[in-house]
Amino acid sequence: MSLSKLLSDYGMLIVLILLCVFYSITTLDEQNPRGVDAAEQVTQMILDGYNTQDRIVVVSKSNPEHVLFANTLLEELESSGYQNVEHIEGEPPEVRSAFEQFDSLGVRADAVAIPQDYSTIIGNIKNRIPVMSQAQIVAPRSYRWPTFLLANNLRNVANQIVVIAIIAVGMTMVIITAGIDLSVGSLIAFSAVVAAWIIREMGGADATLGVMVLASVIAILMCGLVGFASGITITKFKVPPFIATLAVMLVASGFAYIISKGESIYEIPDSYVWLGRGADLFSIPNAVVLMVIIYVLAHILMTRTTLGRYIYAVGGNPEAARLSGIRVNLVLLFVYTMCGIMAGLGGIVQASQLKSGAPTYGLLYELYVIAAVVVGGTSLQGGEGKISGTLIGAFIIAVIQNGMNLTGVESYTQKVVLGFVILLAVLLDMLKKRSWGGKKKTVAAG
Amino acid sequence: MRNLYRLLPVLMLALAVSSCQTQPQSDAVEATTGTIGVTLLTMTHPFFQNLAAGLEEAAGEHNMAVTVNSAEFDVARQRNQIADFIVQGVDAIVMSPADSKAIVTAIQEANEAGIPVFTADIAALADGVEIVTHIATDNYSGGRLAAEAVLEIAEEAAEIAIIDHPEVESVIQRTKGFHDVINEANTNGKAIEVVAQLPGGGIKDRAFRVAEDILQAHPNLDVIFAINDDTALGAVAAIEKAGKSGTVQVVGFDGTAEARRAILEGKIYADVIQHPHQIGIMTVESIVSYMNGDDLPPEQLIPATLYRQADAAADPILQEEAASE
Repeated sequence: MSLSKLLSDYGMLIVLILLCVFYSITTLDEQNPRGVDAAEQVTQMILDGYNTQDRIVVVSKSNPEHVLFANTLLEELESSGYQNVEHIEGEPPEVRSAFEQFDSLGVRADAVAIPQDYSTIIGNIKNRIPVMSQAQIVAPRSYRWPTFLLANNLRNVANQIVVIAIIAVGMTMVIITAGIDLSVGSLIAFSAVVAAWIIREMGGADATLGVMVLASVIAILMCGLVGFASGITITKFKVPPFIATLAVMLVASGFAYIISKGESIYEIPDSYVWLGRGADLFSIPNAVVLMVIIYVLAHILMTRTTLGRYIYAVGGNPEAARLSGIRVNLVLLFVYTMCGIMAGLGGIVQASQLKSGAPTYGLLYELYVIAAVVVGGTSLQGGEGKISGTLIGAFIIAVIQNGMNLTGVESYTQKVVLGFVILLAVLLDMLKKRSWGGKKKTVAAG
Repeated sequence: MRNLYRLLPVLMLALAVSSCQTQPQSDAVEATTGTIGVTLLTMTHPFFQNLAAGLEEAAGEHNMAVTVNSAEFDVARQRNQIADFIVQGVDAIVMSPADSKAIVTAIQEANEAGIPVFTADIAALADGVEIVTHIATDNYSGGRLAAEAVLEIAEEAAEIAIIDHPEVESVIQRTKGFHDVINEANTNGKAIEVVAQLPGGGIKDRAFRVAEDILQAHPNLDVIFAINDDTALGAVAAIEKAGKSGTVQVVGFDGTAEARRAILEGKIYADVIQHPHQIGIMTVESIVSYMNGDDLPPEQLIPATLYRQADAAADPILQEEAASE
């Protein structure tokens, strides 16, 4: 009994964990130590194998990780008394010409110290230059670890789902009221384009922080207004949500194309990527922190407040809710406005990640958002669902996509698998209700 | 309860489907001299399918492993694919950006990770990114060739229309080359008027609708320049529907198999053909030269050529098809 309760409450969480385990096993691969770790390992190898008079050539590219490697290694070698150390920094052609210069001067090297991911290329080049061919490559040893579980990749997974996960909060509320909002994908584009356009008109690449914040807030509020308008159409004119938001989807997308003239707007200051690419708190991406805050607030709203209970009540049985004194229309207006605001925020995150606004953003995202909500266990018939479930649903989608990218599954197959997972989630939900739903409403309610 | 237990293996099976094809690939990686991560604009377009085939063929010859992903026009998705390539630590990234400007942050991330980036067909148009080399069709001179084909059909005075796709840089180059030749011809005494230039999204169904509208609005139209073959085929369908086959000619761009057949049948007057397969091969060869420490020019253009009915009649691909039918 307790096991079945566990499965019914945490079924999708278990699926998520199984997915993570699955991809951890299938992406087990050789990993290269990086930065300081790599430098320390190489230092040890040089200390063990070479004396202080030997000529050591340190080779690196100019990207931050390689620079960190090279600088640490150079310092360590110097403090250990190595006097014949030289550093070559650059792309393969530059390294090659440096080696060729050694050749013409007739100076040989004893060791080439290098980060693992550059060793094959430099090894190839070295072997073709006579004076260098005697030199040994000294690179850190690789170790076996799942690519999926690399810190960088876990950050990737979270970062890649942020936009969809944020919007899914609003969508969860809408779906709990037995509605739907198809306009969120277009609102991503609309919000991104509006914000980018305002920034371009008010200073472009030299715009101030104030302008960027203002532009983003205006874009989000405009999306909230669009959501409010959808809500009015649905409550006052009794247009079914599917139709009302379908119309808004086309209008918002059209405006995004009109404002941007069909092109991406990219005249934006570099600092605009703070939200999408920055990572200030324990190297957790800022957008992920924002997402967590939103989920916590939404969870409190849905579980601890009167408004939250009203939202469930409206979805469960609107007539009963009305008779018990709930102002159903106000609740509906709230959820559609909220969904618009969340879509606007999603658009800002997207614009920040890509440092530009384009009308092509958010294509078909409404479907991914709805999928996240449904996989998370929210019923399309309304009245049921959890914010935490939606987060799990979003992560299931993110892990599958990321895992398939890592294992090299082509895009077509990805779609098929994703489709099956959504179907499976719904089936699981149905079975759950059939097995334990005796006391509650049955499946046929919808 | 028991049902749940039964379902879990099904899920694992679905995942196994996705993993079984990758298993041999990851085994192969160890034996190769490098891995290339590729993300193309789309894989629903024959041009990119041929490009991918060229990449895979050349990579096979050089003993390299390739993973081809498709952005399907979604630049955010492309950014994710690039982020995943970075985590995997591929040796080179090849891309056809889904948006020449919005892709910048993703390229910067690859630059920061020290992974060389190559662009194929579509360039990244922004400062602050390092691209090893860009390999593409010479679209500007391709556009000029298209206009020369139009001049072959047009008499002293003619009305022509362009079905455009101005979101894409390569298409902007094509229409620029096209306009330049038409303007030159007009200063030399011709009277060729571009009566309409409308976006068709580069896809057949939208181009069909746009072509229908153009034919409605301009009954004396002589030639349509379609910026790619799907657009050209959409225009052909609209012309056939309007009963104007033969009076309105189409000049296309790309040289896909379907368009070549249409040229053989006389439905399209001529195509400017690109050589995407060649682009793919050239890209891999550039990666190999990069790894050998050779200097590469920032841009390598592969010339386009004109392809008329006579070329189609002698085309080995079409003859093979005819023989098999």
